[in-house]
Amino acid sequence: MLKLKSLDDFRTLQDRLRTGRDSDIPTIVIPAGTCGQASGASDIIRVAKREILAKELTGKVKLRITGCHGFCQIEPSVLIEPARTVYPNVGLKEMARIVEAVAKGEVLTDLLLKDPQTGEQIEKQDDLPFFSKQVRTLLDRNEKVDPIRVYNYLEHGGYSSLVKALDKRNPAWVIEQVKASGLRGRGGAGFPTGLKWEMLAKQPNGREKFLVCNADEGDPGAYMDRSVLEGNPHSIIEGMLIGAYGTGSKHGVIYVRNEYPLAIKHLIIALRQASELSLLGENILGTGFSFDIQIVRGAGAFVCGEETALIRSIEGKMGEPRQRPPFPIQKGIDGKPTAINNVETWANIPVIIDSEAEAFAKTGTKNNSGTKIFSLVGKIRNTGLVEVPMGITIEEIVYDIGGGPSGKAKIKAVQTGGPSGGCIPADKFDLAVDYDSLTEAGSIMGSGGMIVMDENTCMVDVAKYFMNFLKDESCGKCFTCRKGTQRMYEILDDISAGKGTPEHLDLLEELAVVVRDTTMCGLGQTAPNPVLSTLRYFRDEYLEHIENKRCPAGVCRELIHYSINENCVGCQACVKACPEGAITGEKKQPHTIDADKCIKCGACRSVCKFEAVDVT
Amino acid sequence: MNQAATTESEKDILEILAKHGDDQGGLIAILEEIQARHGYLPEDALRTVADETGRSLVDIYGVATFYHSFSLEPRGKHLVSVCVGTACHVRGAPMIAEEFERQLGVGAGETTPDREFTLQTVNCLGACALGPIVVVDGHYFSNVKPSKVAGIIARTREGLDEIEVETDERVFPLEVNCPHCNHSLMDPARPIDGLPSIRLTISFDNQHCGFNRSCLYGSFHIKSQIDIPTDTVLYFFCPHCYAELVSASNCTECGAPMVPMVLRAGGMMQVCSRRGCKSHRLDLEGVHV
Repeated sequence: MLKLKSLDDFRTLQDRLRTGRDSDIPTIVIPAGTCGQASGASDIIRVAKREILAKELTGKVKLRITGCHGFCQIEPSVLIEPARTVYPNVGLKEMARIVEAVAKGEVLTDLLLKDPQTGEQIEKQDDLPFFSKQVRTLLDRNEKVDPIRVYNYLEHGGYSSLVKALDKRNPAWVIEQVKASGLRGRGGAGFPTGLKWEMLAKQPNGREKFLVCNADEGDPGAYMDRSVLEGNPHSIIEGMLIGAYGTGSKHGVIYVRNEYPLAIKHLIIALRQASELSLLGENILGTGFSFDIQIVRGAGAFVCGEETALIRSIEGKMGEPRQRPPFPIQKGIDGKPTAINNVETWANIPVIIDSEAEAFAKTGTKNNSGTKIFSLVGKIRNTGLVEVPMGITIEEIVYDIGGGPSGKAKIKAVQTGGPSGGCIPADKFDLAVDYDSLTEAGSIMGSGGMIVMDENTCMVDVAKYFMNFLKDESCGKCFTCRKGTQRMYEILDDISAGKGTPEHLDLLEELAVVVRDTTMCGLGQTAPNPVLSTLRYFRDEYLEHIENKRCPAGVCRELIHYSINENCVGCQACVKACPEGAITGEKKQPHTIDADKCIKCGACRSVCKFEAVDVT
Repeated sequence: MNQAATTESEKDILEILAKHGDDQGGLIAILEEIQARHGYLPEDALRTVADETGRSLVDIYGVATFYHSFSLEPRGKHLVSVCVGTACHVRGAPMIAEEFERQLGVGAGETTPDREFTLQTVNCLGACALGPIVVVDGHYFSNVKPSKVAGIIARTREGLDEIEVETDERVFPLEVNCPHCNHSLMDPARPIDGLPSIRLTISFDNQHCGFNRSCLYGSFHIKSQIDIPTDTVLYFFCPHCYAELVSASNCTECGAPMVPMVLRAGGMMQVCSRRGCKSHRLDLEGVHV
């Protein structure tokens, strides 16, 4: 590959790539991130290639494989450029038809997405309600680039922010820009990024400094970092390079979860390409600036998302947090100054440098600038990744973008911030989504998980779920975290089994305060949030479990009963599905469930096509 | 234990250790690599790591037990991971995990007595919009219902990678030329899968011979004049101009060089040069980078 020896070499190459691009040739864009591949994107890609070759369309129809576009609900999907026609849930047969239609410049109206309210067909991606209120600064670029082709990234302006920063010959300018942009850490805590970098830059000269990209996206229910890593790995590398130039760092580490094999693969490819082009390594673009990046894979420990634990894990030790100060900015990896930022934070850096701070700060609100990606999942119609300006309300995200509930049950809460966050009830959906408002409401912004819960979700069960998660993930160093989460879990388990007493609620609250106040790291300090927020907004549900031994959502197994209602047509599907032989009934006669034999596994309900199985 | 086998696996561990050098931080990577090769972390391997790195066995054991992805017990042939992240949980993941437990007769974290399946629950696999998610040997199953579990297990037993070459829509023939002399590489005289095959010359361990592979994209059927041990990295040559066929980029799965061939219809096909590695790439716009 071409070695770029100077900033001018780079500009020449980029200009050549830009002018060489023919954007009029129709292009079939297939998103194939992990979620795309899980829904069958790899298969439709093969069929697309088969058809292009068989019909001799190479050069007439182009194909681009990209990362996730965000609307996971409709995957595997196909986007046609430049018309921006979108086809949802494409099968193998449909793919073959689409290739032919694209070659002829036609639109296959029978395959278009229908608006669930009006029944109207929607052709253009941008007209889908899911995309209407989004501001897709980062996710848009996932559509544009093939993540394993660096030239594709360069063609769309990639690495020109790095070149711009290097050309200023003034590292302080970078830090000024990031400070002025108001960017706050996207990992959840919201610490101003520019301030962090300024502190790192001021560390004594002569000591090697480290930059870390925290890609240990551990919050269950959040996957925006995976999507950026898979879909646009070069943007992370570019962000880190700019950060390294601004802060005078020599070494970079990307700490990525082992559960993200595709992200790791794309990162490895991207790092190799950047090195080959001389955008990484010694004397980058002949400017004398040097920086290298290595990948460290996590091994499945939630606590390693905490910065001091993450550092220990990079050092090859058990990922136990340590007391701060000294902060990593003073003593990090191998005792050297280290700044740790989240994936999405790094991805925002090239955007800030490119558009400059003032333009960036125009999006969002005063102390919460820019956009934030959320993973909108759970009991919602349109699930996927949404990128919205800070300050948008939960209402807008859930109803305008998300399209409301997925089933007949009403939405009752949204859970943000993962195991460190809390549940926000439906009557507070006018809340603005920013760091400060969410904290005030008893939750946190967190890394961006937004799990929608409806009337069939039991809040005691949710609290129990998180406490089970936290007691397993607590590293055990602080006694109050180790035992406190364990004890809170046991109390919640008792309540969900109908063995709770009103005093249990007081004890839970007391324990929660002790755990919050006496633990060392973020895991323990925020561990009580799921309990406290559900107690604050859904105390009724707890009391219903305790006083009436009832689970209103029909989730807590010890408190529910399965029965068959008059919708039953006697199809025998549930009889066959029941692992315990608890269901009896002749064909075409209503069936019955023997409550003594029933283990409440839900198999009958999952196979019934007539909504004939009730849970009370 | 068989003496020869012990030294063989010890050699293996020493090789991994040598690759990571003195880098202290490499311990997790070392353990990951051992696990990738052996399926778990054998006690002997941990002792070797301790001896060679000079770290105490307690230290190594601490790291090996701290992280969830390490296993000190041998795992089954197939690894079933049921996601129990929040989004999957609210959509019924606990019932899926239970159904697997019932069907396989083991609890989460356990292996079936016949060593066929290891069942585990994982906190989040990051495909939250499609929950409940189950991953079996790297294959993702989305929107899983309890009633689908038996089918997933049955398909795994049959082999998830198996493709019916004759009937599968994802399999199709390619016609290729040498990237150097542009001579056709198609060989009608030695058909594979009922179609003209691709003719190449290979070399390894001072042996040279003719080599044919199926022209079907998705089929991995080959014919070679001499037996090729699995994992051997082969050198490929054009049988017409004798130039070596080697790409600028290496295999993303195993790191071996890729072998390029030009598609007559436009574009480039690349296959991995390591025997047994199924990695391949089909680029319709030719290859830059």
